[in-house]
Amino acid sequence: MELSVELKRKIHSVQSGEANSVISMDEVRFHYNRSAPPVLDIEHLVINRGERVAVIGPSGAGKTTLLRLINGYVQPDSGDLKILGYNNGVTSNRPKSLNRRIGFIFQHFNLIDRATVLENVLWGRLGRVNPLLSLFGWFPQKDKKAARKAITEVNLEDQIGQRADNLSGGQMQRVAIARVLAQEAEIILADEPISNLDPALADDILGLLSNVSQRYNVTLIMNVHQSQLAQRYADRIIGLRNGRVVYDNASHLLNSNDLRTIFEPEVKPPLIFNSNAKKDPSH
Amino acid sequence: MPKKILPIEGNSPGIALPRPRIVESLWRAGLILVLVVVIAWAWTGTDFDIKKLINSLPRMADFLSRMVPPDMTVAKTVVVSTGETVQIAIFGTFMSALASFILGMLAAENISPRWLSQPTKWFLAILRGIPVILLALMFVSTVGLGPFPGVLAIALHSTGMLGKFYAEAIENARQGPLEALDSAGANLSQRVRFGILTQVGPDLARDTLFRFELNLRETLVLGLVGAGGIGFYILLYIRAFQYEKVATLTVVVLIMVVLVEQISVAIRRRLR
Repeated sequence: MELSVELKRKIHSVQSGEANSVISMDEVRFHYNRSAPPVLDIEHLVINRGERVAVIGPSGAGKTTLLRLINGYVQPDSGDLKILGYNNGVTSNRPKSLNRRIGFIFQHFNLIDRATVLENVLWGRLGRVNPLLSLFGWFPQKDKKAARKAITEVNLEDQIGQRADNLSGGQMQRVAIARVLAQEAEIILADEPISNLDPALADDILGLLSNVSQRYNVTLIMNVHQSQLAQRYADRIIGLRNGRVVYDNASHLLNSNDLRTIFEPEVKPPLIFNSNAKKDPSH
Repeated sequence: MPKKILPIEGNSPGIALPRPRIVESLWRAGLILVLVVVIAWAWTGTDFDIKKLINSLPRMADFLSRMVPPDMTVAKTVVVSTGETVQIAIFGTFMSALASFILGMLAAENISPRWLSQPTKWFLAILRGIPVILLALMFVSTVGLGPFPGVLAIALHSTGMLGKFYAEAIENARQGPLEALDSAGANLSQRVRFGILTQVGPDLARDTLFRFELNLRETLVLGLVGAGGIGFYILLYIRAFQYEKVATLTVVVLIMVVLVEQISVAIRRRLR
């Protein structure tokens, strides 16, 4: 008797460890402009629970778009995209409740300047509290406790009442990390979290991210430019080039040939200016 | 000296080449000429006459001399009508702030779809365009004399301006924190409360206080058409040639306006 395609896929996923996967992509394509080549063209990609993944690649390779796709800011044009068991494909409606299970750390921190450290972190739990009561500033004790615990985790207890606009860049990124910890996210997406920080702070922040991901068994996917930092703080590296995965392996196996494959520029015909092209935020 | 710009081959979008000097001078001279013509047109149309003004100085002095000493027997009327003026301004501003908050959100392009934001902006522009005195006359003839039509006129007229200011403040809110809240699973009302109001709250408060100052001054005029407040008594005493009483009311109005302005400026300065 011949096995159905779906059954075959299930058997394959169990054999390859994909049953533990939090993100899986098959033939996923995404365009900002239909007349141009896809910004993302991923044949097959699986990321498992608790993995610490660094996405590297030249500017415009599709790193930010990949994170935006996972976070639901953009929808794929074709292919199968499954996140935390939910189909996020072309036709399926992504449930709103999925948002709170995926935390996002931004390059520019995206804190609310006038709010205190505690408020910024507590508001990470907005998806978990009663919406009506929260509008009047009422948060249950357990949520406040979770926020305080997250602040302690990132060593900012002494700044808890400080307004966000009085903090340094490193402290702001720590607040952003505490916000996703308070959110109890199962996946943390970090889009170039260190590009606005000096090298010492960058090391510090990636160390913190990697550490919390390991301790809480949270999947971490971070876009970084520096391959040395990616190797130091991630278990696995995905190299993107022109929207395609050109490297996907353990971080310690990354060598100079791989880096050339990922970063070395291709010889291209001269660009023709296309005024109809949509803006690609990954550029 | 004009900046030297290296020659660029072909058309390069985004780089504006400076106009040649002669074109620049002609352009400037043309602008000045237009300005002079417009001012001259306005002058002739308004019968402005310096000689007439100088000749009227003795009559002005006579008018002012009849105002002194101010008549303090109207103290009770002054207190009551000043209180009413402030009440109209406060409640009119409050009503306007409520309406402006809703209309401002509907008009803000970053949270409302264009099919909704654009008509709301047009509606606010229409409200701004109707003179407050016309609204007051309309409400006096429909709901009767007193402070009530004053409140309605002030609320409606200032919603046109305040709604526009609120919409602009909301549009200027940083999008990043809103994305972060969205990512945390916040719904629309939570995004507005925590993402927008927290960011633009001081701007909204500053705009409201500024509008309150304007409303207080406009309320004085509303009294002239019977829409309550101290303006009604000023007109009443002027018609009865009781200039000493007008003087008392004028002094009180001056003190009130300056005081409210100082308090408002002090509060606005503290908002950040």
